[in-house]
Amino acid sequence: MAEPLRHKPTFLRRATGTRELRRQPLFTGLSWVVLLLLYAPIVILIVFSFNDNRSVVRWTEFSLRWYAAALDNGDIRHAAVISIQVAATATVISTMIATMAALATTRGGGFFGRSAAIALINQPLMIPEIVTAIATLAFFSMLRQLTGLSGLGWLILAHTVFCIPFAFMPVRARLADMSETFETAAADLYATPWQAFRHVTLPLLMPGILAGAMLAFVVSLDDVIITLLVAGPGETTLPIYILGQIRRGVTPEVNAVSTVLIVLTVAMVAMTFLLQRNRK
Amino acid sequence: MIDVRHVTKKFGEGATAVMALEDVSLIIPEGSFFTLLGPSGCGKTTLLRLIAGFELPSEGEIRLDGDSIGHLPPHKRPVNTVFQNYALFPHMSVARNIGFGLEMLKRPKTEIAATIEEMLDLVQLGAFAARRVDQLSGGQQQRVALARALAPRPKVLLLDEPLSALDLKLRKGMQSELKRLQAETGITFVFVTHDQSEALAMSDQIAVMSAGAVQQVGTPEDIYTAPQSRFVADFIGDTNIVTGELLGYDGPMAQIRFGEGRSLSVKTASATLVPGPVHVALRPETITICDAASDAALLIGTVRDATYFGAGSQMSIRLEDGTEIQAQVDRPSPAGTLVGLNCDSAMLQVLAD
Repeated sequence: MAEPLRHKPTFLRRATGTRELRRQPLFTGLSWVVLLLLYAPIVILIVFSFNDNRSVVRWTEFSLRWYAAALDNGDIRHAAVISIQVAATATVISTMIATMAALATTRGGGFFGRSAAIALINQPLMIPEIVTAIATLAFFSMLRQLTGLSGLGWLILAHTVFCIPFAFMPVRARLADMSETFETAAADLYATPWQAFRHVTLPLLMPGILAGAMLAFVVSLDDVIITLLVAGPGETTLPIYILGQIRRGVTPEVNAVSTVLIVLTVAMVAMTFLLQRNRK
Repeated sequence: MIDVRHVTKKFGEGATAVMALEDVSLIIPEGSFFTLLGPSGCGKTTLLRLIAGFELPSEGEIRLDGDSIGHLPPHKRPVNTVFQNYALFPHMSVARNIGFGLEMLKRPKTEIAATIEEMLDLVQLGAFAARRVDQLSGGQQQRVALARALAPRPKVLLLDEPLSALDLKLRKGMQSELKRLQAETGITFVFVTHDQSEALAMSDQIAVMSAGAVQQVGTPEDIYTAPQSRFVADFIGDTNIVTGELLGYDGPMAQIRFGEGRSLSVKTASATLVPGPVHVALRPETITICDAASDAALLIGTVRDATYFGAGSQMSIRLEDGTEIQAQVDRPSPAGTLVGLNCDSAMLQVLAD
């Protein structure tokens, strides 16, 4: 009876394979446990941000008072402004650099050291962040002393650097998928290299660039370790503020701020996925 | 007029270098429908890309109406291309695709709009101006690609196997459509294909290419009735190549004899062959069957089988020397019969190799 099975069309065989996997003991149960461990804390945090009570373990009734309190808190507002300033600037600069790097490594021909360049750009993803943070701290203190410059610029610079690989990946993936014939056709139709880039490459690349920018924004917005070490006085970002508050015990106010961050992040990531799925 | 002079194109360097074109010289007359025909890897697409400017020649020169263009970038050449996969810009409407060339040339908006209108009419896509290109069928995309390449009124239109992605019926329709467009616009068309029947049907002139070299240039009739080499004879149509004995030359004609038969005066591709065995091209449709014992029989063979194809039958015959040949006849003889083959000697051609 095993004989006819071997000649089943591929799609049938694959379907059977999936069903067999699902029938494995523990498969369904384990999946639920993992999902629960991943998302239950977040769901609970969100739920208790709407709790009309100072406790984060006992539910009384629905209220938006902690959102109002957070909004009313000058420190939180200041931290939010810093966070957005840093994230927005770092996103714009890192996305531009990442786009240029992606263009050079996919459209620049086979120049010497191309694979090395790609590896170098992606390397920050592998280096432990604490190492990068300490290195940056030491390096920036030296530069600060040498130049005498201070201000938010240093934090933005640090964020720009670690955002580059995140912005680079989706842009490069899109470029690698994109046929070079479009650029050839544009050149054939009298477009100078700049016109071809402006009218053909850039619009076709836009979903990749936006995806990269959103990833970079989210990564910058969420960063703690590098920010903690590099940020100067008065440069407290939202995650750093939350961290500081937690030391004095979790308050629903922190829950509310965290919920806003989560919603923002999820929206960004969802958009990234949608952009990459469309226009494929 | 395009004048290709001693063009060589090498890809790569040193020992791994691939010779795509080797010392190719060719004249493409102005206003003609010129086809580069050959099997894949023969260099026809490379030659097209050299004319377009997507590749630069390793050696040699390309002139367009006397100006050397071989080293100009593509956007500085008055030449447009219809790509094999069309390469329509997916983020633009049909109209903007067609107007793209003129837009890049910074022509006035009114002129661009008028040209788009005219081109849409020319390719009969008037109702589709605002569509996105991914909402069009393959045949419609093909027409947009044509309109886009014709809109800037190039001196030369290059077509890289543009019909290969279409199904047979659409392909036949587009063949006559392309002929019509060429006649209406008067633009020189350089058409690349590996399909010999397409080439014969559409071209004013054909250059048959193989292994990076031009084998023969001529009208479809020249190429079909007077192939110069075994390669051309073999590539164009189902030609029989039989061995005859060259006795000598009589002016421009070669004196040929098959077996012990009489001597025939036959066209020849070369006037410098040494007497002895030579290859002779013999088209299946020029063969008539006669009695094996009759004086008319040039060749004698045994019928192997016959295939009915509607307008007639294709008979497969094995000659005495073992060569298998095809003959198109009205009424096939039964398998196993010994038959004589006759042919108007004007339809024979001695090949150069």
